[in-house]
Amino acid sequence: MEWTTKQMMAIALSRELENGKTYIVGTGLPLIGATLAKNTHAPTASLLLESGLFEGNPQEVPTSVSDLRLNYHASALWPQYRYFAFQSVYAKRGLIDKGFLGGAQIDPYGNLNSTSIGDYFAPHSRFTGSGGANGIATYCDTVTVMKHEKRRFTENIDYVTSPGWVDGPNGRANAGLDPNKGPRAVITEYCVLRFGEDKRMYLAEYFEGCTPEFIQENTGFELDLSKAVPAEPPTKEVLEILKTKVDPTGLMT
Amino acid sequence: MSKVVSAQEAISTYLKPGDMIAIGGFVTNRRPYGLVREIIKQRIGNLYIEGGPSGGEIDMLIGAGLVTAINISYIANSGFSQVCRRFRNAIEKEHSLLFEDYSLDVQTIAYHGAALGLSYMPVKNMLGTDLERKWGISEEERKKHPKLPAKKFVIQEDPFDPGSKLCLVPTPKIDVALVHAQVASPDGTCRINGPQFQDMDIAMAAKHTIISADRIVSDDEIRHNPELNTLTGLVVDAVVPMAFGCHPSQCFGVHDMDPRFFIKYEQVSKSGEAFDAFIKEYVDDVADHNEYLDKWGASNLLNLRVQEGVGYVPGLKRK
Repeated sequence: MEWTTKQMMAIALSRELENGKTYIVGTGLPLIGATLAKNTHAPTASLLLESGLFEGNPQEVPTSVSDLRLNYHASALWPQYRYFAFQSVYAKRGLIDKGFLGGAQIDPYGNLNSTSIGDYFAPHSRFTGSGGANGIATYCDTVTVMKHEKRRFTENIDYVTSPGWVDGPNGRANAGLDPNKGPRAVITEYCVLRFGEDKRMYLAEYFEGCTPEFIQENTGFELDLSKAVPAEPPTKEVLEILKTKVDPTGLMT
Repeated sequence: MSKVVSAQEAISTYLKPGDMIAIGGFVTNRRPYGLVREIIKQRIGNLYIEGGPSGGEIDMLIGAGLVTAINISYIANSGFSQVCRRFRNAIEKEHSLLFEDYSLDVQTIAYHGAALGLSYMPVKNMLGTDLERKWGISEEERKKHPKLPAKKFVIQEDPFDPGSKLCLVPTPKIDVALVHAQVASPDGTCRINGPQFQDMDIAMAAKHTIISADRIVSDDEIRHNPELNTLTGLVVDAVVPMAFGCHPSQCFGVHDMDPRFFIKYEQVSKSGEAFDAFIKEYVDDVADHNEYLDKWGASNLLNLRVQEGVGYVPGLKRK
């Protein structure tokens, strides 16, 4: 293969963006994927960051969601309460297409843990906590980027930081959440997973070098494999733009 | 009347053990490190922290054993320490820290409510998750801490949308807000350039607000352009002149982050011993902020000045 795993993930992420639509991104791979989309098929996609920075066009890979590098050619730098108001109000109006999230554990319904592993009060590993993730998952459709390991894809996660489809088709409504928003895709180093009518994850696309069986072996719950197709490999052009323009120093990919 | 004082005087005058503090900026951007180092130097403890988007400076307060409880949604030196390590140690190993998890939106909205003088704010967040089901600090424990609200939140039906649930979040009672600004004048007027994050709200909500500023200008000068000013001096108690006062974090229009600090901190915060030695060297053994800056070197700091028109240091070595 002429590409790395992370490059393939960034390319799969970029395919989730469309021209003219608005996305909430974090740093790391989602921002790389989104920047790649802006440099290829979705130049007019708008990127938002939870720090209140609107529509920046970073020329160097940013280190955090508040990095000065994200202010470059931005349209507005808002106080945070204004940003969060925008996020909830505009998501309700259907004007935010998706938000991108990351996490340590995920369950079949796309509920996500970014808080701790083990007992909440005396955890084996404590992470940062929600950041803005809970709000993004509350109000918007989401795409999650995860490391694909059996212990991370598990029937029961240790802490639910961000809501997915909760426990099935009526889960969100019962919890008091908008039933029409929720997780749309999970992207890992092996594949793209999506959610079916039953709101459980299924294998949608697998990357070159992986098989559906291998992915099932590395997943802690049963996946529907019946709809799985091989992912389209990256084109030479897109790969070139990713390597030379979006992440030329290989900071993230 | 001039409100210009030293960091030593500002902190000793307005901050008491047992206070609740809130800190401005965002993770690695415009966090008032200089004022926080002064708290550590004076060992003012038993603090209650409204972290918001927390960075290494709150990790330093935790590592120095000065924090009793924290309301948290995030704590990292992004790109260097993915989760701050003294915070992890306090929760994973020492069980020495009371913590309550919220989401960043909720904390932001609660600070805005506090600035409006309200006792709670209704949000939709946290429903259907463990942020709703698991309380880091029980009602029983809360009774021992008058600085903390009696409950994490109350869930109630929306009176204007029957059948729909709302989460009512108590607003914090902040004693002292610490904020770093690019410019301030002696009467306390200050100007934050670039993103304000939560700073206006925490300054409004707090009983006392301490500003550190990269540059002090005259009251006349800052009032030539009141439309550019962020805070009136009426909400500011003390102004501390402090060039590079938010070093190692970034300061819009002034300087970029100092990766040397964050790389070093990622190493030293791995062990209590190395952390203590770091605090001794960079906090206790330096007389003041000027001596602290000398340790990082004039030419190094000048090289962190942002390039105009770009807004950061192009090609800055960050690894």
